[in-house]
Amino acid sequence: MTVGLRLDEAVWGLLHQALQLYRDNPRATDHLRHQLAQLEQPLRIAIAGPWRSGKSTVLNAIMGEEVAPVDGPDGSGVFTWYEDGPRPRATAYSTNQPPQELAVAKSATGMRVDLVGWRAGELRDIVVQWPTRALRQVTLIDTPAITGPDEQGRSPVMDRVLRDADAVLFLTRDGRGTDLRVLESTRDSAVGQAAPVNVILVLSRVDEAGGGRVDALLTARQLARQQYRDPRVNALCVDLAACSGLIGLAGRVLSESDFAALAQLARVSREDLETHLLSADRFVRGELPVPLDPGVRAALLDRLGLAGVRLATTLVRTGCDSRVKLSAELIRRSGLTELRESMSRFFVDRRDTLKARSALAGVEALVRAEPGPGTGELLSAVEQILAGAHEFRELRLLAALRNARLGFDAELAEEARRLVGGDGVGLAIRLGVEHDATVQRLWEAASDAQWRWRDLAEDPLLRLAQRRGAQVVVRSCEGMLAELAEGGR
Amino acid sequence: MAGIWLDALDEIARTCREHGRADLLLAVRQKRAQLLDPKLRVLVIGEPNQGKSQLVNAIVNAPVCPVGDGRTTVLPTVVQHAEVASATVVQAASAPGRAAGTSVPVPAERTPVPLDQIAAGVAGTLGRRPGGGPAYVEIGLPRALLGAGLVLVDTPGADEVAVLGAAAPPAALHHADAVLLVSDSTRELSVAELNMLLHVTRQHPNVAVVQTKTDLVPDWRAVAERNRQHLAEAGVPAALIPVSAALRLRAAAADDHGLNAESGFPLLIARLQRDLTGKADVLARASVAMIARTVVEQLAAPLRAELESQEAEEQSGPISRLHAAQREVDELRRCSTRWQNTLADEMADLLSDIEYDLRDRTRQILRMVDEAFDTADPLVAWDTFQEWLQQSLVEAAEANHEWLAQRCDFAARRVAGNFARYGYDVLPPWSMTVPEDLLDRLPEIERPTIDRFTVSQKAITGMKGSYGGLLMFGLVMTLAGMPMINPVSIGAGALFGGKSIRDESRQLLRRRQATVKTAVQRHVDDFFVRTTKECRDTTRQVQRMLRDHFTALTEELQEAIIQSFRTAKQAADTDAAVRDQRQREIRLKMTRLAAVYEQAQQLTAPRPARPLEPRA
Repeated sequence: MTVGLRLDEAVWGLLHQALQLYRDNPRATDHLRHQLAQLEQPLRIAIAGPWRSGKSTVLNAIMGEEVAPVDGPDGSGVFTWYEDGPRPRATAYSTNQPPQELAVAKSATGMRVDLVGWRAGELRDIVVQWPTRALRQVTLIDTPAITGPDEQGRSPVMDRVLRDADAVLFLTRDGRGTDLRVLESTRDSAVGQAAPVNVILVLSRVDEAGGGRVDALLTARQLARQQYRDPRVNALCVDLAACSGLIGLAGRVLSESDFAALAQLARVSREDLETHLLSADRFVRGELPVPLDPGVRAALLDRLGLAGVRLATTLVRTGCDSRVKLSAELIRRSGLTELRESMSRFFVDRRDTLKARSALAGVEALVRAEPGPGTGELLSAVEQILAGAHEFRELRLLAALRNARLGFDAELAEEARRLVGGDGVGLAIRLGVEHDATVQRLWEAASDAQWRWRDLAEDPLLRLAQRRGAQVVVRSCEGMLAELAEGGR
Repeated sequence: MAGIWLDALDEIARTCREHGRADLLLAVRQKRAQLLDPKLRVLVIGEPNQGKSQLVNAIVNAPVCPVGDGRTTVLPTVVQHAEVASATVVQAASAPGRAAGTSVPVPAERTPVPLDQIAAGVAGTLGRRPGGGPAYVEIGLPRALLGAGLVLVDTPGADEVAVLGAAAPPAALHHADAVLLVSDSTRELSVAELNMLLHVTRQHPNVAVVQTKTDLVPDWRAVAERNRQHLAEAGVPAALIPVSAALRLRAAAADDHGLNAESGFPLLIARLQRDLTGKADVLARASVAMIARTVVEQLAAPLRAELESQEAEEQSGPISRLHAAQREVDELRRCSTRWQNTLADEMADLLSDIEYDLRDRTRQILRMVDEAFDTADPLVAWDTFQEWLQQSLVEAAEANHEWLAQRCDFAARRVAGNFARYGYDVLPPWSMTVPEDLLDRLPEIERPTIDRFTVSQKAITGMKGSYGGLLMFGLVMTLAGMPMINPVSIGAGALFGGKSIRDESRQLLRRRQATVKTAVQRHVDDFFVRTTKECRDTTRQVQRMLRDHFTALTEELQEAIIQSFRTAKQAADTDAAVRDQRQREIRLKMTRLAAVYEQAQQLTAPRPARPLEPRA
């Protein structure tokens, strides 16, 4: 996309420059080689959040299988990496022992890792290899609970998340207060300030909101959209999604027997069932008019939660008469689809940018930690890439468009957002045409947009910041045209 | 019954006044008024989205506080009894903070809010002027439970202790009679919540944890059990009450007693009612005990700190200065003995050294004189010699004097070294130079009487010698028939005459030399005696001068030191008296505080009283 030196080439060059500079420092060299290797690896997405915010459940829901959590000996402190592999296996990395293979017990809907014989605080990382399509392009990281910021406003777990992951799904129950303050710590390096693109905020456990009403999920999604307009929130993340991991996961692993039980329940009249669904206790212990084993009921509660059971029975009653239909509806309602779409649009499609960003952040951190002769040049090289690379300019323009600093009217702002990749980086999405449009159509749309924005960029009535923004859009259009031309047709 | 705790509270107030702590006094007075008020103010606190407003609604069985998705309580809401349902936004007119801190009632601005817009009021968007003081919403409801005096205060969600302190007056912690911390069943108590509980229980006797949303979670019993464990581990004396607001509201709508019992609310309401009836007694006693503890701790802290600082002061105060002065005096005494000894020793050494030096020099001169006059004839060399001798003696005397001066200076410095620690410039203002007139002072050496060998004496001696020779040879010749006087005898006579003259002259020379040597020796001896005498005199003078100087100095120092010693002693004496008195006062105050504390603790008899001993 970038005319001139491409971003990944520039980052590659920078890393080699750094390697040359630190050639006498084995630790730094290791670090840089690791960064270099990471450029080719799948995108690392960490799922972080405060205590009991539903991290493992969301991870399971994304994977579609019950593989998390791997609870450490004291239930904390362990980063669990989920990567693609030919067969299930788990390896434990501790602070003082060589890596050790862990026993993996497969279950119907996932697996469990046996963690006996480890003392608290000993384990650092567990790497789980799991054969699934979901992990083809990304590596997911389940992280320990993030504690509130300390006196310096730092949170050790969050620091490590930012160091180790290319992108972060930050889970929060309410998206306020302390949680946001931890997120604000992501923005204190030059790289962090220049490109706030690696965080999606997720309102989690939304099924429990509003006392577990049936429409809780819908209102939660509306709330998320409202909250995203709050400048304090949207300065910190690229997107805000509401997602109930529990219901999403239930939708993905719903079995025929679960469906049968739900269908059975749906046969009870609405008023009758409502009294039984008043509380979890009543549901498990009450006298239902239909034969349903208390064990099955408990299992249903476990899988769906009380709100989930309410939702599922309502759905069955209103037309979801098969497991497949119910699953699809549950997944749709849980917000999981939107979350995954968000992830693929903002993270997977921008893989190269995020990788480059991580590498730049890594170099910046290294240079700041171990200054020496020549590191000043390295730092300015980092800043030069940040300032010059078109990808980052697009991202900055996106950020500016998000909080309406530029003062474009709504229509123009929307178009600019789309063209610089605010909705996704695919050509069709950027140009706002149907995804199976012909090259001819794409070309027309792109050149049309280019001319219009070129006029805007030279419009003397606009403010300087707006003209600059328009220039960025023009550049994006040129890039698209170049890409189409390269396509050879 | 009310009398006992009221007495205790008044006693506490009196103590506050005695200690001059107006702030504490105010707090105690406020507490007193609050305890005498029959209403029970229940403060509902907790993290956001835990169901605080819903809990209030469920207690009064009416949707007074707005609940629902994204509805956040911004203003504290006070729910109390009223004949007709009403709602008012109350905003303090003045700057925030004053309302809580002063006893003068701050004029508050009251804006009635239509009942259907309570939500907007509570969200802080209605009836509140921007930039005004802290505001809150008052809601009146005709409910029997409230009519009995229960006042519920719903607060904005806060997960930090600091936020609690900054709340508007009705939501302030010290205005509440009971505190309910709300935490929902979907998770156990968090660290932040436990911290908040610890903070609250420290200054509040009546705290309970309400675990809401039990309807939503199947394993709420396990969560409750673990929460109780957490509370026990953290040492928080708070009861845990699991409730379900949803069930309660549903039960009220359906008039279902079983469901109501299942919701857990009867337990909570019974507890609130017990608190309400027991407010004038049990709760008040606990409150008084609590306030006694805070007040006594606050009052005792500065006293303790003062005691400790006094102990520390003893190390550096007047007493230590007195000790230092005492040491100075002793040191000076030692110093004066030391310098006297030094002076005497130095001077004795000096004298013997100088004498030996002079003796050595004169001996060398004498040796050279001896050697010279073994060969030289005084008759010829006397003048040269006299000049040389004079010069040598002057040189010797000069060198000796110079050395004497140096040694005296050295001795003075050695003695002065003893005074180095007093920092005085203690060398006496004197300088000894080699006198210029040494040459003149030297005794004139008179020429010794030397026998000259005159011509007539020579002639006679020659004649005497030649006579013997002439006669001897003449007689021998006469035997040979030659005349007595013949050339041979005359020749022999001449030979003999010449020899005797030569012999005589040599003898005379010896005698002359001896005479000169003796004379010179005598002269040098004179010189030695005289110079030695001078040296001794000088030395003695120097010694005397030094002694006078240093004695004067010692006296001066002693005067100063004794003076400082006296002032130090005086200061120490007065200080000790003052401190003793202050310590007695502090101890007395501490004992009184302990008594007050004890009295307050007696109120809650079952609770083991922790005695507060004044620390010595």
